[in-house]
Order: sequence, then C-alpha cells, then structure tokens
Amino acid sequence: MKNSKNILDETPFQTAGPFLHIGCMPNKIKINNLYKNDLGEVPFKNKNETEMITVEGSVFDGNGIALDDVMLETWQCDENGQFLEDNGFARFIPDKLTKQFKLFTVKPGQVQNLNGKNQSPHICLSISSRGLNMTLNTRIYFEGDDLINDPILSMIKNNKGNIHSLVAKKIKKNLYIFDVFLQGDKETVFFDV
Amino acid sequence: MNVKSLVKRNYKKQPEIDFPDYKSSTFRAPKNKKISIPSNNSEIFGPIFNKKIIGKLDNDLTLNFSKNKMSPLGHKIIVHGTVSDQFSNPIKGALIEIWQANAAGKYLHQDDKNPAPIDPNFSGCGRSLTSSDGSYEFLTIQPGPYPYPNRGIEWRPMHIHFSIFGESFGQRLITQMYFEGDPLINLCPMVNSIADEKAKKSLVGKLDTSRSNIQNILAYKFDIVLRGVKQTYFENRQEGL
Repeated sequence: MKNSKNILDETPFQTAGPFLHIGCMPNKIKINNLYKNDLGEVPFKNKNETEMITVEGSVFDGNGIALDDVMLETWQCDENGQFLEDNGFARFIPDKLTKQFKLFTVKPGQVQNLNGKNQSPHICLSISSRGLNMTLNTRIYFEGDDLINDPILSMIKNNKGNIHSLVAKKIKKNLYIFDVFLQGDKETVFFDV
Repeated sequence: MNVKSLVKRNYKKQPEIDFPDYKSSTFRAPKNKKISIPSNNSEIFGPIFNKKIIGKLDNDLTLNFSKNKMSPLGHKIIVHGTVSDQFSNPIKGALIEIWQANAAGKYLHQDDKNPAPIDPNFSGCGRSLTSSDGSYEFLTIQPGPYPYPNRGIEWRPMHIHFSIFGESFGQRLITQMYFEGDPLINLCPMVNSIADEKAKKSLVGKLDTSRSNIQNILAYKFDIVLRGVKQTYFENRQEGL
C-alpha cells in the first residue's frame, strides 16, 4: 500500500460550457469534415433491433425548464452483464424542439458489485453542461425489475434519498421514461462514485 | 483475487457546484448533498476507445479544418503533457477531446453571440489518444479571451476545454486549461469556484521554453491527473460470489 501522502491530487473539474458540441459531437453542429462519426452515436454495434429498449426523457433545471444544451453520457454492460470496452458507451443531447433525449440501447443484464452481490440492471449516466462546475453522476434503474435487493438502492434508501428519481418508468414494452431534475422537490439523486 | 476500486474524490480540491458568482449555476447546481456510493464494477471497467477512430490530423487543429492548406489566424502553439493517475502511473490510450475559441475569441457555434469573426480555417475541435507513456500533444493556435454575460459582461481568460476518458467511467474528467500569465484567470468565477489555490494553479498550462525553442512555436505543458484505481487483494474469496 502506497503512502497516502504520495497520492497526487486529481485535476479539478471545470464546466463543459455551452459549446461542448464542438469537441464532443462536431457532426451534430455541422462540423462535418473532421470525424466520420461522433463518439457514442450508437452504444452497441450489430444488435438485433427487437432486443433494444428506448429510454427517453428530459433534463429540467430549477425553473422547471427542459434544457437542450446538456450532454448526457451513458455507460452500461450488455444484456449478459458483460462490460465490453468500447461497446456500451453512448453520448447524446436533447432534441432542440422537443427537449427530449432518446437512448436506443440494449437492456443491461445484472452485474455484481465488488462484494459479489448482484445489482439490479442499471445504466450509469453522467450529465455535463454550462452552469455545472462538475459533471454529475447518477444511475438509471428500470421499473419492473427487482429493486428491493439492489445494494446501491438500499444504501440510498437508508440515506433517505429519493430512489424513485433513479427508476425509469415503463410505458410499454421496451419503452421507458427517465426525467432528470437538477433541483426542486423531485431533485434527482446524484452520486459521489 | 485482486479487486479494483477508485480512490475517493477529494471535494476540497474541486470546484463548488453551487457557486453564485457563476450565474448559470444558480438554477442548475443540485442542492442536495451527493450520496457516496462504493466504487463498483460499473464505474471501473471502461469505456476504452480504439485508436482506429483517431484520424491523422485529429490532433492538429492548424490543419484539420483548413481549406486549401490555408492556416488559421493567430500564433501556433503546442499543448502537450501527460495523463497519469493519482499514483503517478501513466495512463495509455486515454482519449482526450478538446475544443476552443479561435484567435479572435469566437467559437464555431451558432449559440456564440460574441460579435467577433469566425475563422473559416479553424473549427477548434481536436482529439488524441495518449501514448504508452501517457503523453499527448496537440498543435493548435492561441485561443483569444472573450466577453460573456454573467454579472454584467465579464471576460473569460484564454482557455482550452478538455474532456478525458481514462480506463474507467469513474475517472471521467471534463476541465479547462488556462495559460500562464493571463491576468484574467484570477478574475474568472469559474476558476474561483475552486477554493484551493494549488488546485486552481494545476489548471494553468506552463510555458515550456524547451519545446518552444526547438519548434519555433510557443509550447505549453499541461499534465492531467485522473483518479487512482486501487488494487486490493482478497483472500478466502470464493469463485463466483
């Protein structure tokens, strides 16, 4: 075990600002001649469409306004609970008109935590934008799954956190709604991971 | 067996999320305390990006958007450094994406309302994967400072935005590099949202005259530290548990 005094400080965060699309999704703002594809356009390649789910929703600020200048990034395992390096990552922004984001992906399988306990299927979600001095981290769980025995959700419940804010509502087969509230009564639970 | 976990984040060295001097944070910064969760397989394995996605000119912003080999306006700079973890281990294959304003302080973005000229030969977009020793390098031009609405009109110091992926989603970092000697740094509320002076200074790229002399181009060095991944050995651990 290394002496903790020799541990370097992590570089501090700064806001991603309003122009993050230039560096993170240039094709989305018609800077078309640089990258063939924007990073994380599709989370999984070569998946059968019938296996896919859609998670859609909005990100609301403290005034209840749905934001369109936030960047969302998701990271998840495949349907078998395997992490696959560059498969499983997605990056997207809400639509300018509807203010809704859409994630088209596979429903993740179960992953164990470090103590070997099964976690309920979930997708890690990070949010970066103007006005956020640090990237926010949360998780998307799914209505209809066993959410009672998940170690992280139990921990949040014990901390009196709003676990409902972490559960995507099932609207119909393969369609879920997940809204993020940055502030207010319904404020989403964010993690120090 | 070896189990990996992330070093806990030290929030004293990070910006305040809810920082009233930065107006945009008022209605966006969550008010509740973050809930600490133990790092977990989900935050530790990947994503890792393949070098096949990186094009030849992706880290040369002086050429990657130029028309007919015309140079963007402004003076050329090299921005280089290393990406390591908190245990000083270099991180190879870390994806760095950058974006910046042009020499006039204008972004190639429809939401940039600053009445400064765009540069048809400059997008301000670049990316690179670190080498086996954790090093990276960009060739670009010096970004200009620019005015923006905050508490009235304020000026951002010259900066380059950095987005970095290490080996773990929990190491993800988005930050900005500033330039040594810029008097606007200390006036900037986004910089000042970090209370710790040493942490603030770590965001300032240092003029690197050794590189500048060789290339006849000004060089700045900016080293990046991502969270450490600890390996802990567990005995008596049953397979599959």
